[in-house]
Amino acid sequence: MTTMSGPWIEPEGATTPVLPTRVAKTKNRGRRKEAWTAYVLLAPSLLFFLVFLLLPSIFAVVLSLSSWGGFDLSTIEFVGLGNFARILSPDSTFVVPILINTLVFAFGSVTIAVIASVAIAQFIERISLQGFWRTLYFLPLVTTVVAVGNVWKYLYRPSGFINGALNFLGFKSIPFLTDPGTALPAVIVVAAWGSIGSAILILTAGLKSIPDPYYEAAEIDGANSWQQFWKITLPLLRPTLLFVLITQVIGGLQSFALINVMTGNGGPANATNVGALEMYQQAFAFGQWGTASAMAMVLFVIIFVITLIELWFFRTKGEDTE
Amino acid sequence: MSKKVALRRKGKYPWLSLTFVALGSVLMVVPFFDMIMGSFKSPGEYGKLPYHFLPQTPTLSNYAAAFTQLDLGRLFANSIFVTVVVTTSVLLTSAMAGYALAKLRFPGRSVIFRIVLATMMFPPFLLLIPDFLMMVNWPLAGGNDIFGTGGQGLTSTLLALCIPFLVSGFGIFLMRQFMAAIPDELLDAARLDGASEFRIWFSVMLPQAKPAAITLGLLTFIAQWNEYIWTLLISSVNPELMTLPVGIQLLQSFLDPASTAPIVMAGLVISIIPVLVIFLSFQKFYIRGFVLSGMK
Repeated sequence: MTTMSGPWIEPEGATTPVLPTRVAKTKNRGRRKEAWTAYVLLAPSLLFFLVFLLLPSIFAVVLSLSSWGGFDLSTIEFVGLGNFARILSPDSTFVVPILINTLVFAFGSVTIAVIASVAIAQFIERISLQGFWRTLYFLPLVTTVVAVGNVWKYLYRPSGFINGALNFLGFKSIPFLTDPGTALPAVIVVAAWGSIGSAILILTAGLKSIPDPYYEAAEIDGANSWQQFWKITLPLLRPTLLFVLITQVIGGLQSFALINVMTGNGGPANATNVGALEMYQQAFAFGQWGTASAMAMVLFVIIFVITLIELWFFRTKGEDTE
Repeated sequence: MSKKVALRRKGKYPWLSLTFVALGSVLMVVPFFDMIMGSFKSPGEYGKLPYHFLPQTPTLSNYAAAFTQLDLGRLFANSIFVTVVVTTSVLLTSAMAGYALAKLRFPGRSVIFRIVLATMMFPPFLLLIPDFLMMVNWPLAGGNDIFGTGGQGLTSTLLALCIPFLVSGFGIFLMRQFMAAIPDELLDAARLDGASEFRIWFSVMLPQAKPAAITLGLLTFIAQWNEYIWTLLISSVNPELMTLPVGIQLLQSFLDPASTAPIVMAGLVISIIPVLVIFLSFQKFYIRGFVLSGMK
């Protein structure tokens, strides 16, 4: 940070320039007043981060190593890695199916959303009324998850829109949310539907930053739109795509509001249960603070590792093709 | 724009692109229209086979029922209180901290800026349990003794819904970036005129930072209006505190099963309208902030 360098950042008494005392004094006083103003302006925010972010995080780590139920702090018991051993053991449902569901949910919905949004963002670039179309795709992002979840729950019902359309076309009804085989794909589709708009917005910014002469040159060389897409658009869009992928996967791995609205506790038979929802239930339905906190830690580590893998994957892929 | 560029922008087959975009957008809006149609369907009609998209015997009774049975008035009041408190607090603290980090010189500035950036990496689900336990066991609040036991703690008031959202690392970052681009000469001129540091912040900086403040205010307002998980949690301790989304979700099970769906849809339509109006009227500001919040 070059803008941060200057005499005010150096350790006290390191290289105080020798100035005539009067000038130095007034200057110092001005500086000190400026610093005090800054600390006063920052104090509420820093205090907030300390009390509601840092201390709770430490508390979460302590809880994950303890066994505790209820609210009486005197009954808390240190159990080391016992919670982790239990939730990661083969007989626990946390790894299979819950963590597997979490990965399928996150990557499934992100894959659908990214492929669809790359296509739609491109198509919108070629037609008029661009702002209008983008707004339509963005609507779910300003709508409460309670509306999105409930409306889709009704759409999926035997008497709902989708089965109504299937019956009209001569197909049999599908029990989307009550059949363990279709429930997870059904919520994945809704998650993808809800996030396409944000991916379109960010990808559009990426598309606009690709210089026109690249396409002009390709045009002269006789490349068709399909070739232009694979040889110019996609490689140059890679940083934007990486960004969309990482943020959406991080979001997908920790999201559970939609599933909570649509299937309640992650049913039928854990078919739609995901890590964060299981943590929520262990904590607030069963009062198992320790177990739930250990689950949160596991999820946190998974998110961290997957982010690193994504970054690494895109970097090496970039070196191969360029 | 040269002819070839125009070719790329418009494409060789604009009608093909248009078809795809239009078909996709039908998929985007059908759920919303099904919700609106459903809110006008009469109790006997909803859930019957075969499915009809349009209400066969349209009625407004679901809207009336939503107000009485879902208690929408109280839910609305709670939602407005929480949203206004959080938006005001985020705007104020972000403008304060953002100004300090952008324009003032003091020891530790780069460290504090890095701390602010780091707070944006915290996954919210990690804080759910400890923050909840803190609210319930807050000493000397809601009937609690000095050790934080015996009462409801902070969950006895609407403030419990606001507290975890009062300061936003992203908000500070956004204001800092915007204010850093405002020329120093403006501040120096005010300093030469003998204005106090507070005056400079309030009378010189804040008016300049209005566009960023509008963007941040919109993002915060809409996010808070729609907030679900934390409010659900606190409302499970104290049902008095339910906001619109949480109330509509939790009160469903108390409705007459024959007409639950249409009443819920009517409630949802009403709860969506305020954010939809705000979003559509200030779209440019909102989108700009949204893209920025992604770009961090």
